[in-house]
Amino acid sequence: MSLAASGAASSVDTANLTPDVMMAVAMSRLLRDGELAFHGVASPLPMVAILLAKATHAPNLVYLNITGSIDPTPGHLPHSTVDPLLLQGTRSMITLADAFDLSARGELDTVFLSGVQIDPAGRINMSAIGEYGHPKVRLPGGAGSAFLMSTANRILLWRTRHDPRTFVEQLPFVTGTGNVDRVVTPLCIFRRDPEQNRLVVESIHPYSSAEEVAAQTGFAVDVAGVPTTPAPSEQEIAALERVDPEGVRRLEFS
Amino acid sequence: MTAKIGSKVTGMEEAIAAIPPGSQIALGGNTVHRSPSAAVHELVRQEKRDLTIIKTAGGYDVDLLVGAGCVAKLIVAYVGFENLQGLAPQFRAAVEQGRVVLEEQTCTSVITGLRAAAQGIPFMPIAGMSGTDIVRGRFLSVRNPYGEGEVVTVPAIWPDWAIIHVQEADTAGNARIRGTQFEDVLMSKAAHQVLLTCERIVDGSEFASQPDLTTIPAFQVDMVVEAPGGAWPASCAGCYGVDEAYLAEYYQAASGASPEKIRSFVTQRAVGIPQTAGATP
Repeated sequence: MSLAASGAASSVDTANLTPDVMMAVAMSRLLRDGELAFHGVASPLPMVAILLAKATHAPNLVYLNITGSIDPTPGHLPHSTVDPLLLQGTRSMITLADAFDLSARGELDTVFLSGVQIDPAGRINMSAIGEYGHPKVRLPGGAGSAFLMSTANRILLWRTRHDPRTFVEQLPFVTGTGNVDRVVTPLCIFRRDPEQNRLVVESIHPYSSAEEVAAQTGFAVDVAGVPTTPAPSEQEIAALERVDPEGVRRLEFS
Repeated sequence: MTAKIGSKVTGMEEAIAAIPPGSQIALGGNTVHRSPSAAVHELVRQEKRDLTIIKTAGGYDVDLLVGAGCVAKLIVAYVGFENLQGLAPQFRAAVEQGRVVLEEQTCTSVITGLRAAAQGIPFMPIAGMSGTDIVRGRFLSVRNPYGEGEVVTVPAIWPDWAIIHVQEADTAGNARIRGTQFEDVLMSKAAHQVLLTCERIVDGSEFASQPDLTTIPAFQVDMVVEAPGGAWPASCAGCYGVDEAYLAEYYQAASGASPEKIRSFVTQRAVGIPQTAGATP
Protein backbone atom coordinates (compact mmCIF):
# COMPACT_ATOMS: atom_id res chain seq x y z
CA MET A 1 0.00 0.00 0.00
CA SER A 2 1.23 3.44 -0.87
CA LEU A 3 1.96 5.65 2.08
CA ALA A 4 1.96 8.76 -0.08
CA ALA A 5 0.27 11.60 1.73
CA SER A 6 -2.81 13.03 0.10
CA GLY A 7 -1.74 16.56 0.75
CA ALA A 8 -4.59 17.28 3.14
CA ALA A 9 -3.66 19.37 6.14
CA SER A 10 -3.77 17.55 9.46
CA SER A 11 -2.67 18.17 13.00
CA VAL A 12 -1.16 14.70 13.30
CA ASP A 13 1.89 13.47 11.45
CA THR A 14 0.30 11.27 8.78
CA ALA A 15 3.63 9.84 7.63
CA ASN A 16 3.59 7.64 10.72
CA LEU A 17 -0.12 6.87 10.61
CA THR A 18 -0.74 3.13 10.22
CA PRO A 19 -3.91 1.40 8.96
CA ASP A 20 -4.62 -0.30 12.32
CA VAL A 21 -4.76 3.09 14.06
CA MET A 22 -6.70 4.78 11.26
CA MET A 23 -9.24 1.94 11.09
CA ALA A 24 -9.75 1.67 14.85
CA VAL A 25 -10.34 5.43 15.07
CA ALA A 26 -12.56 5.57 11.96
CA MET A 27 -14.68 2.65 13.22
CA SER A 28 -14.93 4.22 16.65
CA ARG A 29 -16.12 7.55 15.25
CA LEU A 30 -19.02 5.79 13.51
CA LEU A 31 -20.46 4.68 16.86
CA ARG A 32 -23.07 6.82 18.58
CA ASP A 33 -23.48 7.67 22.23
CA GLY A 34 -26.30 5.75 23.88
CA GLU A 35 -26.69 3.03 21.27
CA LEU A 36 -26.47 -0.76 21.70
CA ALA A 37 -23.48 -2.06 19.75
CA PHE A 38 -22.47 -5.71 19.24
CA HIS A 39 -19.54 -7.64 17.79
CA GLY A 40 -19.01 -11.35 17.29
CA VAL A 41 -16.16 -13.81 16.89
CA ALA A 42 -12.82 -12.84 15.34
CA SER A 43 -13.38 -9.11 15.90
CA PRO A 44 -10.35 -7.46 17.54
CA LEU A 45 -10.81 -4.14 15.69
CA PRO A 46 -14.51 -3.80 16.61
CA MET A 47 -13.69 -4.67 20.23
CA VAL A 48 -11.06 -1.94 20.31
CA ALA A 49 -13.26 0.54 18.40
CA ILE A 50 -16.18 0.07 20.80
CA LEU A 51 -13.97 0.47 23.88
CA LEU A 52 -12.36 3.52 22.27
CA ALA A 53 -15.76 5.08 21.55
CA LYS A 54 -16.80 4.51 25.16
CA ALA A 55 -13.56 6.14 26.32
CA THR A 56 -14.09 9.17 24.09
CA HIS A 57 -17.33 10.43 22.52
CA ALA A 58 -19.78 7.64 23.43
CA PRO A 59 -19.55 6.90 27.17
CA ASN A 60 -23.18 5.76 27.25
CA LEU A 61 -22.87 3.28 24.41
CA VAL A 62 -23.95 -0.20 25.60
CA TYR A 63 -21.31 -2.74 24.60
CA LEU A 64 -22.56 -6.27 23.87
CA ASN A 65 -20.63 -9.28 22.61
CA ILE A 66 -20.86 -13.08 22.37
CA THR A 67 -19.75 -13.70 25.93
CA GLY A 68 -23.00 -12.07 27.04
CA SER A 69 -21.22 -9.43 29.07
CA ILE A 70 -22.55 -5.88 29.10
CA ASP A 71 -20.11 -2.98 29.21
CA PRO A 72 -17.17 -5.10 30.35
CA THR A 73 -13.97 -3.42 31.49
CA PRO A 74 -11.34 -6.01 30.55
CA GLY A 75 -8.00 -5.62 32.30
CA HIS A 76 -6.21 -6.68 29.17
CA LEU A 77 -7.67 -7.45 25.80
CA PRO A 78 -8.00 -11.05 24.62
CA HIS A 79 -6.87 -12.33 21.22
CA SER A 80 -10.14 -14.23 20.82
CA THR A 81 -13.17 -11.96 21.07
CA VAL A 82 -15.26 -14.67 22.78
CA ASP A 83 -12.77 -14.99 25.61
CA PRO A 84 -13.92 -15.02 29.26
CA LEU A 85 -11.58 -12.05 29.74
CA LEU A 86 -14.44 -10.07 28.20
CA LEU A 87 -16.57 -10.90 31.24
CA GLN A 88 -14.51 -8.68 33.53
CA GLY A 89 -16.50 -5.89 35.09
CA THR A 90 -19.89 -6.94 33.74
CA ARG A 91 -22.75 -6.63 36.22
CA SER A 92 -25.24 -8.78 34.33
CA MET A 93 -25.22 -11.26 31.52
CA ILE A 94 -27.36 -12.20 28.56
CA THR A 95 -27.14 -15.24 26.33
CA LEU A 96 -26.23 -15.15 22.66
CA ALA A 97 -29.83 -16.15 21.93
CA ASP A 98 -30.93 -13.07 23.90
CA ALA A 99 -28.71 -10.84 21.75
CA PHE A 100 -30.20 -12.34 18.58
CA ASP A 101 -33.71 -11.89 19.96
CA LEU A 102 -32.92 -8.24 20.57
CA SER A 103 -31.89 -7.90 16.93
CA ALA A 104 -35.03 -9.72 15.76
CA ARG A 105 -37.15 -7.20 17.67
CA GLY A 106 -35.39 -4.28 15.98
CA GLU A 107 -33.64 -3.21 19.19
CA LEU A 108 -30.02 -3.92 18.29
CA ASP A 109 -28.67 -0.64 16.95
CA THR A 110 -25.28 -1.43 15.48
CA VAL A 111 -23.39 -4.61 14.63
CA PHE A 112 -19.82 -4.87 13.31
CA LEU A 113 -19.36 -7.58 10.68
CA SER A 114 -16.75 -8.42 8.09
CA GLY A 115 -16.61 -10.21 4.76
CA VAL A 116 -13.77 -12.00 3.04
CA GLN A 117 -15.34 -10.58 -0.12
CA ILE A 118 -17.65 -7.58 -0.36
CA ASP A 119 -19.68 -6.57 -3.41
CA PRO A 120 -20.87 -3.11 -4.57
CA ALA A 121 -24.14 -3.46 -2.63
CA GLY A 122 -22.25 -4.25 0.60
CA ARG A 123 -23.20 -7.91 0.52
CA ILE A 124 -20.65 -10.26 2.07
CA ASN A 125 -19.16 -13.66 1.32
CA MET A 126 -17.74 -15.56 4.29
CA SER A 127 -18.46 -19.02 2.89
CA ALA A 128 -16.44 -20.09 -0.14
CA ILE A 129 -14.21 -18.89 -2.96
CA GLY A 130 -15.04 -20.57 -6.25
CA GLU A 131 -18.01 -22.81 -6.85
CA TYR A 132 -19.90 -23.24 -3.58
CA GLY A 133 -20.40 -27.01 -3.93
CA HIS A 134 -16.73 -27.60 -4.85
CA PRO A 135 -14.94 -24.60 -3.42
CA LYS A 136 -11.41 -23.62 -4.24
CA VAL A 137 -11.17 -22.21 -0.72
CA ARG A 138 -13.63 -23.07 2.00
CA LEU A 139 -13.91 -20.08 4.36
CA PRO A 140 -14.96 -20.20 8.05
CA GLY A 141 -18.60 -19.24 7.50
CA GLY A 142 -20.41 -16.10 8.54
CA ALA A 143 -21.34 -17.12 12.13
CA GLY A 144 -24.29 -14.81 12.91
CA SER A 145 -23.93 -12.57 9.82
CA ALA A 146 -26.83 -13.85 7.71
CA PHE A 147 -29.27 -13.25 10.53
CA LEU A 148 -27.79 -10.04 11.91
CA MET A 149 -27.48 -8.28 8.55
CA SER A 150 -31.15 -8.91 7.89
CA THR A 151 -32.34 -7.82 11.34
CA ALA A 152 -29.99 -5.33 13.05
CA ASN A 153 -30.73 -1.65 12.52
CA ARG A 154 -27.26 -0.75 11.25
CA ILE A 155 -24.37 -2.83 10.00
CA LEU A 156 -20.84 -1.46 10.01
CA LEU A 157 -18.52 -3.59 7.90
CA TRP A 158 -14.79 -3.59 8.30
CA ARG A 159 -12.12 -5.38 6.28
CA THR A 160 -8.37 -5.15 6.82
CA ARG A 161 -7.57 -5.92 3.19
CA HIS A 162 -8.47 -3.60 0.33
CA ASP A 163 -7.68 -5.09 -3.06
CA PRO A 164 -9.53 -6.18 -6.22
CA ARG A 165 -9.93 -9.75 -4.92
CA THR A 166 -11.66 -8.48 -1.76
CA PHE A 167 -13.92 -5.79 -3.20
CA VAL A 168 -15.45 -7.65 -6.12
CA GLU A 169 -18.20 -7.03 -8.64
CA GLN A 170 -19.94 -10.34 -7.96
CA LEU A 171 -19.92 -12.82 -5.09
CA PRO A 172 -19.95 -16.57 -5.65
CA PHE A 173 -22.12 -16.92 -2.53
CA VAL A 174 -24.02 -14.32 -0.51
CA THR A 175 -23.49 -15.20 3.14
CA GLY A 176 -25.17 -12.05 4.37
CA THR A 177 -26.88 -8.94 3.09
CA GLY A 178 -28.74 -5.93 4.40
CA ASN A 179 -28.61 -2.74 6.43
CA VAL A 180 -25.00 -1.84 5.64
CA ASP A 181 -24.23 1.75 6.52
CA ARG A 182 -20.44 2.04 6.17
CA VAL A 183 -17.46 -0.10 5.20
CA VAL A 184 -14.10 0.79 6.76
CA THR A 185 -10.95 -0.44 5.00
CA PRO A 186 -7.22 0.32 5.33
CA LEU A 187 -7.60 2.82 2.46
CA CYS A 188 -10.98 4.48 2.79
CA ILE A 189 -14.50 4.60 4.16
CA PHE A 190 -17.36 3.54 1.92
CA ARG A 191 -20.90 4.73 2.58
CA ARG A 192 -23.80 2.76 1.17
CA ASP A 193 -26.05 5.05 -0.83
CA PRO A 194 -29.53 3.66 -0.11
CA GLU A 195 -30.99 5.13 -3.31
CA GLN A 196 -28.64 3.19 -5.60
CA ASN A 197 -27.97 0.45 -3.00
CA ARG A 198 -24.33 0.90 -3.85
CA LEU A 199 -21.12 1.62 -1.97
CA VAL A 200 -19.67 5.06 -2.66
CA VAL A 201 -16.29 6.29 -1.44
CA GLU A 202 -16.97 8.73 1.37
CA SER A 203 -13.44 9.59 2.43
CA ILE A 204 -9.91 8.46 1.68
CA HIS A 205 -7.39 7.96 4.49
CA PRO A 206 -4.59 10.53 4.68
CA TYR A 207 -1.82 8.12 3.61
CA SER A 208 -3.76 6.80 0.57
CA SER A 209 -4.98 8.43 -2.62
CA ALA A 210 -7.89 8.50 -5.03
CA GLU A 211 -5.79 6.59 -7.56
CA GLU A 212 -4.94 3.87 -5.07
CA VAL A 213 -8.55 3.40 -3.94
CA ALA A 214 -9.77 3.18 -7.53
CA ALA A 215 -7.03 0.74 -8.52
CA GLN A 216 -7.54 -1.50 -5.48
CA THR A 217 -11.32 -1.74 -5.74
CA GLY A 218 -12.65 -4.46 -8.03
CA PHE A 219 -15.76 -2.52 -9.00
CA ALA A 220 -16.23 0.96 -10.42
CA VAL A 221 -15.98 3.78 -7.87
CA ASP A 222 -16.11 7.52 -8.27
CA VAL A 223 -13.14 9.00 -6.45
CA ALA A 224 -13.24 12.50 -7.90
CA GLY A 225 -13.33 15.19 -5.23
CA VAL A 226 -13.60 12.72 -2.34
CA PRO A 227 -12.43 14.30 0.92
CA THR A 228 -9.65 12.99 3.14
CA THR A 229 -10.59 11.07 6.29
CA PRO A 230 -9.66 13.36 9.19
CA ALA A 231 -6.47 12.00 10.72
CA PRO A 232 -6.75 10.76 14.30
CA SER A 233 -6.41 13.56 16.80
CA GLU A 234 -3.82 13.46 19.56
CA GLN A 235 -6.63 12.75 22.03
CA GLU A 236 -7.91 9.82 19.96
CA ILE A 237 -4.42 8.34 19.68
CA ALA A 238 -3.82 8.73 23.40
CA ALA A 239 -7.17 7.08 24.19
CA LEU A 240 -6.42 4.25 21.75
CA GLU A 241 -3.11 3.59 23.49
CA ARG A 242 -4.91 3.44 26.85
CA VAL A 243 -7.61 1.10 25.53
CA ASP A 244 -5.33 -1.20 23.53
CA PRO A 245 -1.78 -0.79 24.86
CA GLU A 246 -0.72 -4.23 23.60
CA GLY A 247 -1.94 -3.57 20.06
CA VAL A 248 -4.40 -6.46 19.90
CA ARG A 249 -5.99 -4.67 16.93
CA ARG A 250 -2.90 -5.50 14.89
CA LEU A 251 -3.71 -9.24 15.05
CA GLU A 252 -5.98 -8.64 12.10
CA PHE A 253 -3.09 -7.46 9.96
CA SER A 254 -0.79 -10.44 10.47
CA MET B 1 -40.23 -42.13 30.39
CA THR B 2 -38.02 -43.48 33.09
CA ALA B 3 -36.52 -40.71 35.13
CA LYS B 4 -32.75 -40.40 35.01
CA ILE B 5 -31.84 -40.66 38.70
CA GLY B 6 -28.96 -41.83 40.87
CA SER B 7 -25.26 -41.59 40.24
CA LYS B 8 -24.27 -41.30 36.61
CA VAL B 9 -20.57 -41.08 37.15
CA THR B 10 -18.49 -43.05 34.73
CA GLY B 11 -15.08 -42.94 33.09
CA MET B 12 -14.39 -41.06 29.87
CA GLU B 13 -13.59 -44.21 27.92
CA GLU B 14 -16.85 -45.92 28.94
CA ALA B 15 -18.90 -42.78 28.35
CA ILE B 16 -17.64 -42.29 24.81
CA ALA B 17 -17.95 -46.02 24.08
CA ALA B 18 -21.68 -45.68 24.86
CA ILE B 19 -22.15 -43.20 22.02
CA PRO B 20 -22.81 -45.15 18.82
CA PRO B 21 -21.18 -44.34 15.49
CA GLY B 22 -23.45 -42.27 13.30
CA SER B 23 -24.79 -40.24 16.24
CA GLN B 24 -25.78 -36.61 15.92
CA ILE B 25 -23.80 -34.77 18.56
CA ALA B 26 -24.19 -31.18 19.72
CA LEU B 27 -20.93 -29.87 21.17
CA GLY B 28 -21.02 -27.22 23.90
CA GLY B 29 -18.84 -24.12 24.07
CA ASN B 30 -17.95 -21.61 21.37
CA THR B 31 -14.84 -21.31 19.14
CA VAL B 32 -12.01 -22.04 21.61
CA HIS B 33 -13.92 -21.61 24.84
CA ARG B 34 -15.31 -24.33 27.13
CA SER B 35 -15.28 -26.86 24.31
CA PRO B 36 -15.68 -30.46 25.54
CA SER B 37 -12.15 -31.16 24.33
CA ALA B 38 -11.32 -34.17 26.51
CA ALA B 39 -14.45 -35.94 25.23
CA VAL B 40 -13.52 -34.96 21.68
CA HIS B 41 -10.04 -36.39 22.19
CA GLU B 42 -11.63 -39.66 23.33
CA LEU B 43 -13.95 -39.71 20.29
CA VAL B 44 -10.80 -39.45 18.17
CA ARG B 45 -8.97 -42.16 20.12
CA GLN B 46 -11.93 -44.53 19.71
CA GLU B 47 -12.09 -43.73 15.98
CA LYS B 48 -15.80 -42.99 16.17
CA ARG B 49 -17.24 -42.73 12.65
CA ASP B 50 -20.03 -41.04 10.68
CA LEU B 51 -20.89 -38.46 13.31
CA THR B 52 -23.02 -35.42 12.62
CA ILE B 53 -21.64 -32.48 14.60
CA ILE B 54 -23.92 -29.60 15.58
CA LYS B 55 -22.53 -26.29 16.82
CA THR B 56 -22.96 -22.59 16.20
CA ALA B 57 -19.25 -21.65 16.13
CA GLY B 58 -16.67 -24.41 16.33
CA GLY B 59 -12.90 -24.30 16.46
CA TYR B 60 -10.26 -26.85 17.44
CA ASP B 61 -12.93 -29.38 18.45
CA VAL B 62 -14.66 -29.50 15.06
CA ASP B 63 -11.44 -29.25 13.03
CA LEU B 64 -9.93 -32.14 14.98
CA LEU B 65 -12.97 -34.42 14.63
CA VAL B 66 -13.12 -33.73 10.90
CA GLY B 67 -9.39 -34.32 10.52
CA ALA B 68 -9.50 -37.62 12.38
CA GLY B 69 -12.17 -38.90 10.00
CA CYS B 70 -14.94 -39.01 12.63
CA VAL B 71 -17.40 -36.74 10.84
CA ALA B 72 -19.87 -37.38 8.03
CA LYS B 73 -21.84 -34.15 8.34
CA LEU B 74 -21.53 -30.73 9.94
CA ILE B 75 -24.39 -28.45 10.95
CA VAL B 76 -22.44 -25.30 11.79
CA ALA B 77 -22.26 -21.56 11.18
CA TYR B 78 -18.53 -21.03 11.70
CA VAL B 79 -15.43 -23.19 12.03
CA GLY B 80 -12.21 -21.35 12.69
CA PHE B 81 -9.54 -20.20 15.09
CA GLU B 82 -10.64 -16.55 15.04
CA ASN B 83 -7.48 -14.43 14.78
CA LEU B 84 -5.26 -16.97 16.56
CA GLN B 85 -4.49 -18.94 13.38
CA GLY B 86 -5.50 -19.03 9.73
CA LEU B 87 -8.34 -21.00 8.14
CA ALA B 88 -9.26 -24.23 9.96
CA PRO B 89 -6.98 -26.64 8.06
CA GLN B 90 -8.84 -29.93 8.29
CA PHE B 91 -12.33 -28.45 8.01
CA ARG B 92 -11.26 -26.52 4.96
CA ALA B 93 -9.62 -29.50 3.26
CA ALA B 94 -12.51 -31.86 3.98
CA VAL B 95 -15.12 -29.49 2.55
CA GLU B 96 -12.98 -28.61 -0.47
CA GLN B 97 -12.45 -32.31 -1.19
CA GLY B 98 -16.07 -33.26 -0.53
CA ARG B 99 -15.22 -35.60 2.36
CA VAL B 100 -17.87 -34.15 4.69
CA VAL B 101 -21.35 -32.86 4.04
CA LEU B 102 -21.57 -29.26 5.19
CA GLU B 103 -24.97 -27.93 6.13
CA GLU B 104 -23.97 -24.29 6.48
CA GLN B 105 -26.22 -22.33 8.79
CA THR B 106 -26.13 -19.03 10.64
CA CYS B 107 -25.68 -19.11 14.44
CA THR B 108 -29.24 -17.98 14.97
CA SER B 109 -30.76 -20.72 12.85
CA VAL B 110 -28.84 -23.37 14.80
CA ILE B 111 -30.22 -21.83 17.99
CA THR B 112 -33.71 -21.68 16.47
CA GLY B 113 -33.52 -25.34 15.41
CA LEU B 114 -32.41 -26.33 18.91
CA ARG B 115 -35.19 -24.20 20.41
CA ALA B 116 -37.75 -26.01 18.23
CA ALA B 117 -36.45 -29.38 19.46
CA ALA B 118 -36.41 -28.18 23.07
CA GLN B 119 -40.04 -27.16 22.66
CA GLY B 120 -41.08 -30.34 20.89
CA ILE B 121 -42.16 -28.75 17.63
CA PRO B 122 -41.02 -29.66 14.11
CA PHE B 123 -39.89 -26.20 13.03
CA MET B 124 -39.79 -22.62 14.18
CA PRO B 125 -40.07 -19.26 12.44
CA ILE B 126 -37.01 -17.02 12.41
CA ALA B 127 -36.84 -13.26 11.88
CA GLY B 128 -35.09 -11.80 8.85
CA MET B 129 -32.90 -14.05 6.68
CA SER B 130 -33.92 -12.43 3.40
CA GLY B 131 -31.35 -12.35 0.63
CA THR B 132 -28.84 -14.79 2.07
CA ASP B 133 -27.90 -17.86 0.05
CA ILE B 134 -27.92 -19.84 3.31
CA VAL B 135 -31.70 -19.96 3.09
CA ARG B 136 -31.73 -21.26 -0.47
CA GLY B 137 -32.81 -24.89 -0.77
CA ARG B 138 -32.72 -25.34 2.98
CA PHE B 139 -35.13 -23.15 4.91
CA LEU B 140 -38.70 -22.90 3.67
CA SER B 141 -40.98 -19.92 4.18
CA VAL B 142 -44.60 -20.04 5.30
CA ARG B 143 -47.32 -17.46 5.01
CA ASN B 144 -48.03 -15.75 8.32
CA PRO B 145 -51.38 -17.36 9.25
CA TYR B 146 -52.29 -14.42 11.53
CA GLY B 147 -51.27 -11.47 9.41
CA GLU B 148 -49.32 -10.18 6.46
CA GLY B 149 -46.31 -11.57 4.71
CA GLU B 150 -44.08 -14.60 4.77
CA VAL B 151 -41.74 -15.86 7.44
CA VAL B 152 -38.68 -18.10 7.08
CA THR B 153 -38.73 -21.30 9.15
CA VAL B 154 -35.98 -23.53 10.47
CA PRO B 155 -36.44 -27.29 10.99
CA ALA B 156 -35.92 -28.65 14.50
CA ILE B 157 -32.45 -29.93 15.36
CA TRP B 158 -32.76 -32.94 17.67
CA PRO B 159 -29.27 -34.07 18.65
CA ASP B 160 -28.93 -37.67 19.82
CA TRP B 161 -26.35 -36.42 22.28
CA ALA B 162 -25.17 -33.16 23.74
CA ILE B 163 -21.62 -33.26 25.09
CA ILE B 164 -21.05 -30.37 27.46
CA HIS B 165 -18.10 -29.45 29.64
CA VAL B 166 -18.91 -27.57 32.84
CA GLN B 167 -16.98 -26.39 35.86
CA GLU B 168 -19.00 -28.22 38.50
CA ALA B 169 -21.46 -31.11 38.59
CA ASP B 170 -22.72 -33.48 41.23
CA THR B 171 -22.83 -37.24 40.75
CA ALA B 172 -26.45 -37.10 39.57
CA GLY B 173 -25.65 -34.53 36.87
CA ASN B 174 -26.81 -31.24 38.35
CA ALA B 175 -24.47 -28.76 36.70
CA ARG B 176 -23.22 -25.25 37.24
CA ILE B 177 -21.72 -23.32 34.38
CA ARG B 178 -19.53 -20.38 35.31
CA GLY B 179 -19.18 -17.57 32.82
CA THR B 180 -20.90 -17.75 29.47
CA GLN B 181 -23.45 -20.53 28.89
CA PHE B 182 -23.20 -20.31 25.11
CA GLU B 183 -25.82 -22.74 23.70
CA ASP B 184 -25.08 -25.42 26.27
CA VAL B 185 -28.20 -25.18 28.42
CA LEU B 186 -30.36 -25.11 25.29
CA MET B 187 -28.50 -28.14 23.93
CA SER B 188 -29.14 -30.02 27.17
CA LYS B 189 -32.88 -29.50 26.62
CA ALA B 190 -32.86 -30.26 22.89
CA ALA B 191 -30.76 -33.43 22.95
CA HIS B 192 -32.14 -36.89 23.65
CA GLN B 193 -29.17 -37.70 25.88
CA VAL B 194 -26.57 -35.62 27.67
CA LEU B 195 -22.96 -36.40 28.54
CA LEU B 196 -21.54 -33.94 31.05
CA THR B 197 -17.84 -33.64 31.63
CA CYS B 198 -16.75 -31.44 34.52
CA GLU B 199 -13.70 -29.89 36.10
CA ARG B 200 -14.77 -31.37 39.43
CA ILE B 201 -17.55 -33.42 40.94
CA VAL B 202 -18.90 -31.69 44.02
CA ASP B 203 -21.24 -32.75 46.80
CA GLY B 204 -24.74 -32.00 45.49
CA SER B 205 -25.83 -30.69 48.89
CA GLU B 206 -23.59 -27.68 48.17
CA PHE B 207 -25.95 -26.76 45.34
CA ALA B 208 -29.00 -26.64 47.63
CA SER B 209 -28.04 -23.27 49.11
CA GLN B 210 -28.03 -21.61 45.66
CA PRO B 211 -30.06 -23.83 43.32
CA ASP B 212 -30.58 -20.91 40.94
CA LEU B 213 -26.95 -21.31 39.88
CA THR B 214 -27.66 -24.85 38.68
CA THR B 215 -28.55 -24.37 35.03
CA ILE B 216 -28.69 -28.03 33.96
CA PRO B 217 -30.88 -30.27 36.17
CA ALA B 218 -29.87 -33.86 36.85
CA PHE B 219 -32.96 -35.47 35.35
CA GLN B 220 -31.82 -34.41 31.88
CA VAL B 221 -28.33 -35.85 32.23
CA ASP B 222 -27.29 -39.41 31.35
CA MET B 223 -23.60 -39.57 32.18
CA VAL B 224 -21.16 -37.56 34.27
CA VAL B 225 -17.40 -37.76 33.79
CA GLU B 226 -14.93 -35.97 36.02
CA ALA B 227 -12.36 -34.49 33.63
CA PRO B 228 -10.14 -31.83 35.19
CA GLY B 229 -8.81 -29.68 32.35
CA GLY B 230 -11.53 -31.16 30.13
CA ALA B 231 -11.91 -28.03 28.02
CA TRP B 232 -8.18 -27.62 27.38
CA PRO B 233 -6.80 -26.32 25.01
CA ALA B 234 -9.99 -24.23 25.03
CA SER B 235 -10.53 -21.88 27.95
CA CYS B 236 -12.70 -22.72 30.92
CA ALA B 237 -13.94 -19.59 32.70
CA GLY B 238 -12.63 -19.30 36.23
CA CYS B 239 -10.22 -22.23 35.70
CA TYR B 240 -7.82 -21.61 32.81
CA GLY B 241 -7.40 -19.59 29.64
CA VAL B 242 -6.89 -20.56 26.01
CA ASP B 243 -3.65 -22.44 25.32
CA GLU B 244 -2.56 -20.48 22.27
CA ALA B 245 0.83 -22.21 22.09
CA TYR B 246 -0.78 -25.63 21.86
CA LEU B 247 -3.26 -24.40 19.24
CA ALA B 248 -0.35 -23.09 17.17
CA GLU B 249 1.31 -26.49 17.47
CA TYR B 250 -1.90 -28.25 16.42
CA TYR B 251 -2.27 -25.87 13.49
CA GLN B 252 1.21 -26.73 12.24
CA ALA B 253 0.71 -30.45 12.72
CA ALA B 254 -2.80 -30.57 11.27
CA SER B 255 -2.13 -28.68 8.04
CA GLY B 256 -2.15 -31.36 5.36
CA ALA B 257 -2.10 -34.21 7.90
CA SER B 258 -3.75 -37.61 7.36
CA PRO B 259 -6.37 -38.96 9.81
CA GLU B 260 -3.70 -41.30 11.19
CA LYS B 261 -1.37 -38.39 11.83
CA ILE B 262 -4.14 -36.43 13.53
CA ARG B 263 -4.94 -39.39 15.75
CA SER B 264 -1.33 -39.90 16.71
CA PHE B 265 -0.97 -36.19 17.47
CA VAL B 266 -3.92 -36.44 19.86
CA THR B 267 -2.62 -39.62 21.46
CA GLN B 268 0.82 -38.17 22.07
CA ARG B 269 0.03 -34.55 22.75
CA ALA B 270 -3.48 -34.16 24.13
CA VAL B 271 -2.94 -35.58 27.58
CA GLY B 272 -3.89 -33.64 30.71
CA ILE B 273 -3.34 -29.90 30.95
CA PRO B 274 0.20 -28.98 30.01
CA GLN B 275 2.20 -26.09 31.40
CA THR B 276 1.45 -23.99 28.36
CA ALA B 277 -2.18 -23.33 29.34
CA GLY B 278 -3.00 -19.64 29.23
CA ALA B 279 -3.64 -17.18 32.02
CA THR B 280 -6.58 -17.88 34.31
CA PRO B 281 -9.37 -15.47 33.45
